[in-house]
Amino acid sequence: MGEILLRTEDISIQFGALKAVNKVSISIEENKFTTILGPNGAGKTTFFNLLSGLYKPTEGKVFFRDKDITGQTPQERIKEGIGRSFQLTNVFPKLTVRENVRLAAQSAANVGFRLFKSYKSYAEVNARSDELLEQVLLHDKAPLRASELTHGEQRKLELAMVLALEPEVLLLDEPTAGMSVEEVPVMIDLLRQIKEKGTTIVLIEHKMNMVKALSDKLIIMVNGEFLCEGDPEEVSRNPEVMEAYLGGGVVNVTA
Amino acid sequence: MRIKKQTQIKKNGLIIRLAIIVIALAALVILPNFLSATRMTMISRIMVFSVYAMAYDILRGYTGFIHLGFALFIGGGAYFVGILFVRVATSWPMLLLAILGTVVYSIFWALLVGKVAASGGSVLATAMITMAFGEIMRNMMERWRTVTNGADGLNYKTPFPFSNRTFMYYLCFAFMVVMLVVLFRFINSPTGRVLQGIRENEQRAVFLGYNTNRARTIALLVAGIAAGLSGIVYGLLNRFVNTDLLNMQMTYNAMLYSLIGGTGTLYGSIVGSTVVIFFQDLLLNLRSLHPIFERWLLFFGALYIAVIMYMPQGIVGFYNSWKEKRMHKKMAQGAVVSQEKQ
Repeated sequence: MGEILLRTEDISIQFGALKAVNKVSISIEENKFTTILGPNGAGKTTFFNLLSGLYKPTEGKVFFRDKDITGQTPQERIKEGIGRSFQLTNVFPKLTVRENVRLAAQSAANVGFRLFKSYKSYAEVNARSDELLEQVLLHDKAPLRASELTHGEQRKLELAMVLALEPEVLLLDEPTAGMSVEEVPVMIDLLRQIKEKGTTIVLIEHKMNMVKALSDKLIIMVNGEFLCEGDPEEVSRNPEVMEAYLGGGVVNVTA
Repeated sequence: MRIKKQTQIKKNGLIIRLAIIVIALAALVILPNFLSATRMTMISRIMVFSVYAMAYDILRGYTGFIHLGFALFIGGGAYFVGILFVRVATSWPMLLLAILGTVVYSIFWALLVGKVAASGGSVLATAMITMAFGEIMRNMMERWRTVTNGADGLNYKTPFPFSNRTFMYYLCFAFMVVMLVVLFRFINSPTGRVLQGIRENEQRAVFLGYNTNRARTIALLVAGIAAGLSGIVYGLLNRFVNTDLLNMQMTYNAMLYSLIGGTGTLYGSIVGSTVVIFFQDLLLNLRSLHPIFERWLLFFGALYIAVIMYMPQGIVGFYNSWKEKRMHKKMAQGAVVSQEKQ
């Protein structure tokens, strides 16, 4: 068993009467590919928001490498090594593709707040951006504005931006959402490459089929609560999971 | 082979651009020899207002921050000059004190607005608060009659050599060039790039690990000090300051100069203030031709509407998007060529 990288302890958040996430305790192992699976409205994205610091939990704690990070801002958590992508594509639309990645690489290189020296003179930042653009197959689109990319390309761009932060753990919120049929395998291939390089990945998904082959571990969430966890085969045979997926009728498993 | 050709084109473009800049600078240097004092002062005014508009562009165009009390910076600088010259002495030490005072004053207002923006209110609420700050300054200068003469303002003399029109022209010219270089360096620094990230998508910038509140405060400081200094130079040039300079209208002017020139381009503000001030002057002169030009604001309004309808990115923005379109065309052609080769 690998070392525990990210851990939550009875974490909950309440919006008015709604307990969107209710006493969830999970642990993410280092160098593993963990997928959080659940029907729409299960609280997966809210849970991500708690991990990345966008929301403060009403109770419970978040630990990163046994350090309590519950009170940290998103910026501080990124410096700790938690990178995330968003369910809705979240890039800088009017900046060029290269500039999008460069801004991320600049943050990782800790030169974000230098004044009066041209941004172009940081060769290592530029080299890193080009390298990442090549990795996500966007290098020939580098001078275009991000808004001119297709949806799938924007998702790849966002992935490159998160990777530029050199995170220890990567939180990806439905990276294939809204992608065309041809683009999905490319994305899966990218994720596999990242996994092989030893980055810990946590993925949110509601399509079981896509993640079965990739994941080392599945965590099932339903109605804001932790349901079960285990390796993909084991979990998909679990009657409770079948019930949540098929009985609830919210999501088509084969979709 | 193609790459070589591209760098050659780029190099040529650079040489042309450099040539244009050198010619423009040379023209501005020799211009005073051919101009009347009135014209010279008008161009001096354009140069000072360019800096003021560029400072505003740092906030609106680059950071996406709307400051509706922005006039308090230029007005503050000019009032520092006016009050010290009238109430203390018309001397160099007072000018230095005015510069120091303006910098401190600008830092104060920039930090205060930075704090307000960081407190998490909506964009509109923050904009309204900045407007209130502007009004506070205007009201203070209007009511503090014993010092400021209220709305009548202060008339004063400036020490030599600032009393010389030609000297002032070159001072304004140097001021504009220096500020253009400084502000250009600023927006092309890593910090400047973060500002554009904030404008585009603040949440994303936060999730890249940037402290956006800090970046915004830096932008406010740079813009505030630049605008404050433009107030000092304007005070020296105009030898008169009243509450008009602290008016909302003055903030709108900054908005219009940068808008007509092209927001988020910096030098667009120079183009914008030149066009607007020349056009204003032209309309005022046409009054003698036909009485309809008494209502020159009518035509002025029409110009604004025309620009916003047909050139929403401003003059420089219009040119840039034309260039971008050309680049796309070339890229598309390049793709066709490389496909054919395969």
